[in-house]
Amino acid sequence: MKPLVQVNPQMEGAGFGPSDLAETRIGTVFGLKQFMQGPINTVLIKGLAGTGKTTVALEILKAAGQGKGAYISSRVPKELLETHIPAMKETIDNQDFLDIRLEDATSVLDFVMQLTEPRKIKTIVFDSWDGLAKELEQKERLRAEKTLMALANNSGAQFVFVSEEPGATTIDYLVDGIVEVVSVDVQDRTVREFVIHKLRGTKIPQHKYIFTLLEGKFTFFGPYAVPDYSKMRKFAQRQDIGGSYSLGSRALDGLFGGMIPGSTLAIEYDENVPYTALRAIGLPPIINFLSMGRSAIFLPLPGANDEETSSILAKGAGETAVRERLRILNVLRTSDLKTTNLPKIATPREVHEEVTNETTRLRKKSTDKTVLLVKSVSALENLFASDLDSLLEVTSQEIITLQQSHDAHILFLAKDSPIRSRILSISSSYAKLFVRDGTVLMFGVKPHTGIYALQHLEDPTSPSLTQLV
Amino acid sequence: MSEDFATSFNYAVHGGLDKVLGQSGTAAVLSHMKMARGLPEPGEFHKKLLALFGKQGTISLERAIVRDLAVRLKWSLDLLDIEGAFDFDETMRAVEKGAKA
Repeated sequence: MKPLVQVNPQMEGAGFGPSDLAETRIGTVFGLKQFMQGPINTVLIKGLAGTGKTTVALEILKAAGQGKGAYISSRVPKELLETHIPAMKETIDNQDFLDIRLEDATSVLDFVMQLTEPRKIKTIVFDSWDGLAKELEQKERLRAEKTLMALANNSGAQFVFVSEEPGATTIDYLVDGIVEVVSVDVQDRTVREFVIHKLRGTKIPQHKYIFTLLEGKFTFFGPYAVPDYSKMRKFAQRQDIGGSYSLGSRALDGLFGGMIPGSTLAIEYDENVPYTALRAIGLPPIINFLSMGRSAIFLPLPGANDEETSSILAKGAGETAVRERLRILNVLRTSDLKTTNLPKIATPREVHEEVTNETTRLRKKSTDKTVLLVKSVSALENLFASDLDSLLEVTSQEIITLQQSHDAHILFLAKDSPIRSRILSISSSYAKLFVRDGTVLMFGVKPHTGIYALQHLEDPTSPSLTQLV
Repeated sequence: MSEDFATSFNYAVHGGLDKVLGQSGTAAVLSHMKMARGLPEPGEFHKKLLALFGKQGTISLERAIVRDLAVRLKWSLDLLDIEGAFDFDETMRAVEKGAKA
């Protein structure tokens, strides 16, 4: 699926890079054409205070075009709204703004008639509709709402009602579309979701989306899109950060601050995290290490395509570097066991010895004698399911050895790994990856970081991380 | 319009619109049409409603007005053909003529 994103180069610094933040128009979520020209005349945006309803409504208003929208405010004056959401100041300035805090329903309906009769206005936002409707008796409220529906239908303008009423009200039954914005707590971090409950006459490919209000702008995330590796760019080598090794990606360095020599970074992932998303965490450090003249050892995740991995690494770091200073050891393939002279039924200790020998061999070829080990614990767990204690023992030894030799160590382990908690306790850094509403999310547990959506906006091999706020 | 009919028409417009649009909707419509002080001829009124509510909306509102007027004048609705699309101006003239007689 093609990512539904529009990159805003002005957002440098907001996420981790100029193109990392994908600014998307709300219309894209609804299906822009259907929303702007189709059967959706009236939309209700529901949600509790602070969930982002006004920003979403302003995005719809922005889509109307300059001078073709009106914002009817029953809560705040224009100046205050612009202070609350500075990123939308231009949108607010470009449209009619009606402050109705002290007006009654009759005046508001009259305003709406004045706006719609000339048929020049495309979108009117009522923020909030409750503010006004709560002053009316139930029957009177319903009739006022019906009047608005009739005005919307006749004028062709889109009416957007913002509501903080959590339950279903009379307007729920009248409008063509209902969207709800909610804030969900995920591991002590807030994730915003945009839920489409109803959209008459419009196909809804997905009901829930993750979105962020970073920089006061609405940005939604479509389902994770597998990167197109044919669009790989030339790898830009990243120097060490102070005394730390770069992780080969501005996004990852921004999140973890690089890797202190001798440290172990553990990456825990849910079973539904796509392999390409994990690869975007594992490959940039390897490519960068090789580009810097250092060496690396890679034990890929189960199911990895060795040829594809080698091809990506060769494109990124160069064929010579891959051939001379990288060892890909796929322990699940018998051929690899044969080539390393391991018996067909190897023990964790035999694999560990092989890794140690390779580390010694590759250390000699590394410009500063450092080696990066990127290892899938899941692959080893699958292989040594009956001897996990030994696996844990050799993994611990490896962490200590690499620590002493100032190497770098990245471990990938599944959420349900039986040795997870013990591995995590001896890891210096720890990040989690999981999927929600089709979007791959990532956050650091050790050190504690905010939560980010992972995409591939710049290069297929690198992650782009956009903070969810 | 005769004074009696004009008064009844005025009340019926308020009553009919109120049933559909509510008090605030009715007040807004009349204020928007600049009719708060008095109503124009039914034909002109029809055109103004049409501009705001379109064909289908106008028919519904005018039907509500006619029903209200019939109740006020104690007319049977059977005497007025207001099913489907109907000519509001013509119906009003018929009612006015009948009321006079």
